[in-house]
Amino acid sequence: MGQSSLNLPRIVLHDIWQHKWVLLLSIIVMINAVAVVYTSHVSRKLTSQWDQLLQQQDSLDIEWRNLLLEEQSQSEHSRVTRIATKELNMSRPLPKEEVIIRAQ
Amino acid sequence: MSRQAKRKQNPELIPWRLYVVVGFVMLLFVSLVARAAYIQIIEPDKLRHESDMRTLRTTSNQVQRGLITDRNGDMLAVSVPVRAVWADPKHAHDQNAFEDMRRWQALADVLQEPVEKLVKKVKHNPKKRFVYLKRQVTPAVADYIEQLKIGGIYLKSESRRYYPAGEIAAQLIGITNIDDVGIEGIENTYNTWLTGTPSKQKVRKSRDGRVVERLDIVQEGENSNDIVLSIDQRIQQLAYRELKRATEMYQATSGSVVVIDVLTGEVLAMANTPSYNPNSRENLQSHRMRNRALTDTFEPGSTVKPFVVAAALEAGTVKADELIPTSPGWMRIGGRQVRDSNNYGDMSLSKILVKSSNVGISKLALSMPVQQLLGTYQSMGLGNYSGINLTGESAGLIHDRRRWSDFERATLSFGYGFTATPLQLARMYATLGSGGVLYPVSILKLKEPPAGQQVLSQDVAKSVMQMLVGVTERGGTATKAHIDGYPIAGKTGTSRKAIAGGYGDDYVALFAGVAPVHNPRLAISVVINEPKGDKYYGGDVAGPAFAKIMSGALQMLNVEPISKREAVQLASAPRSAE
Repeated sequence: MGQSSLNLPRIVLHDIWQHKWVLLLSIIVMINAVAVVYTSHVSRKLTSQWDQLLQQQDSLDIEWRNLLLEEQSQSEHSRVTRIATKELNMSRPLPKEEVIIRAQ
Repeated sequence: MSRQAKRKQNPELIPWRLYVVVGFVMLLFVSLVARAAYIQIIEPDKLRHESDMRTLRTTSNQVQRGLITDRNGDMLAVSVPVRAVWADPKHAHDQNAFEDMRRWQALADVLQEPVEKLVKKVKHNPKKRFVYLKRQVTPAVADYIEQLKIGGIYLKSESRRYYPAGEIAAQLIGITNIDDVGIEGIENTYNTWLTGTPSKQKVRKSRDGRVVERLDIVQEGENSNDIVLSIDQRIQQLAYRELKRATEMYQATSGSVVVIDVLTGEVLAMANTPSYNPNSRENLQSHRMRNRALTDTFEPGSTVKPFVVAAALEAGTVKADELIPTSPGWMRIGGRQVRDSNNYGDMSLSKILVKSSNVGISKLALSMPVQQLLGTYQSMGLGNYSGINLTGESAGLIHDRRRWSDFERATLSFGYGFTATPLQLARMYATLGSGGVLYPVSILKLKEPPAGQQVLSQDVAKSVMQMLVGVTERGGTATKAHIDGYPIAGKTGTSRKAIAGGYGDDYVALFAGVAPVHNPRLAISVVINEPKGDKYYGGDVAGPAFAKIMSGALQMLNVEPISKREAVQLASAPRSAE
């Protein structure tokens, strides 16, 4: 029966049980390492997304500026006046033709 | 045999072999560990440096120059990012960029320049590292050039300034040079405020060029700031249009208009002719770029007469209802003659202003000490900076001396012997309109009205305003400046231009005034320099432009026109004083 006392799996399990804290810690270390890798990956992804958004903001800003210029040139007062008088046959009333309505 | 077989069955250990193998394996591991330790612990910097060289980049974000807007948010100056095309001749040579000339032809076509010129620029100095090929190209062109992929040709961000208002406010806003530095007008004065500095940051980039990590900031940037001007673009546009019309109609050399808000001292419009297009820099002429409304001075002529009356009333040397004898229409002072166009006989103060009588006003000036008159002029801003704080502003010239001859004192009263700018003139009338309160002139939109200074008593200011109503009524010198609905307190002026050794044949035609009289809102001065036609009187040349600008501007500001009944009451007021 001396042979049966040398049951290898049992010894291994026993040994593991003996060092269970070390083992647990090493597992935690492994998990931790993977978590670090994962988090840095996520952070890099977010940073890159942030950067893309910044670039998008820049290009939107450029577009805004160009649209602003277009708006300004379209709504330029002398142009509006010209269109109003020439094409729409409007005219600015003289001060004596104005009717004042007072807000009560 | 059997011994041999036996040995085969039970092999014997040869220890040295084992030791050699184990030794080698151990050596392998030890050297690996040692190498790893060496790299990671003893000398990690070299590899770190290698890695940084491949991934670390410094990025800078471009900051656009601040916007300039009018008081209602209309854009007057906008910066738009563009690209500059530049070449590194050394790179171009290294990369044999001249092999494919089709690309260069395409580049030349899109830049609209001869291909030989471009190639020469790059080919000529192979040692050079930087040469501009074209500046301020549009993003579309820049993309095209990027896709041409010519070796040694690169693009660089820069920005271009656009002025949507164009020539309307060109001198006031000013322009920037090609490097985005303000060189004229508001752009120059507020250059540091408008300019931002780009921030520089260290980033780590991945292989595909994406930023994966932001490290420290190399250089703290500063955002640019916007400017909100006190200008009302609608009034500015109207003022420029009418001024241009008047300048062309009377073939004048130049002209200026200033519109000031009486209640706050803000400039609502400031226009000059001739103007230029700030969006095209090809043919800039410096005389067109000058903001004449505050740089050019002239003798203000009869437009200062109301202030002589005010000074005399303030000094108490004349009463508001006094009659001044001006018969026979001329008078001799110290051997020189002062004359009126007619013999008006005994005149009320109001009539002196309405008829612009030189004799009458000279008598008023001689009735008080000269310091009183000069003091009044100076307290209303003559000979001093207006507070607008723009480059090139002139303070005008007003002599400060002890001895004045009587004739000189008389000429002071009808606007000769000292100079003023159109801005100062408008400011004087604004002071009259605000009941004698002098405000510093501001070109920036104010949040609250500034602290003014009472330089004229309210009663005097009010009564002088009343006296001036007649100027634009029938029988006055500026019937063409009359506006139905908005009574004006204004005064014409026509002054001869001084040349070396006396006065020449050229005139300055002026009109300045405040309206509406019962509730003043705007003060406007119109100055037409050297009108060439038959007409050169202020009332004929500057008056109509004044009326158009004033009535239009008051309408835009929703100022209520006066009713018929009130108009009758007001018109009868100065007559009762006669």
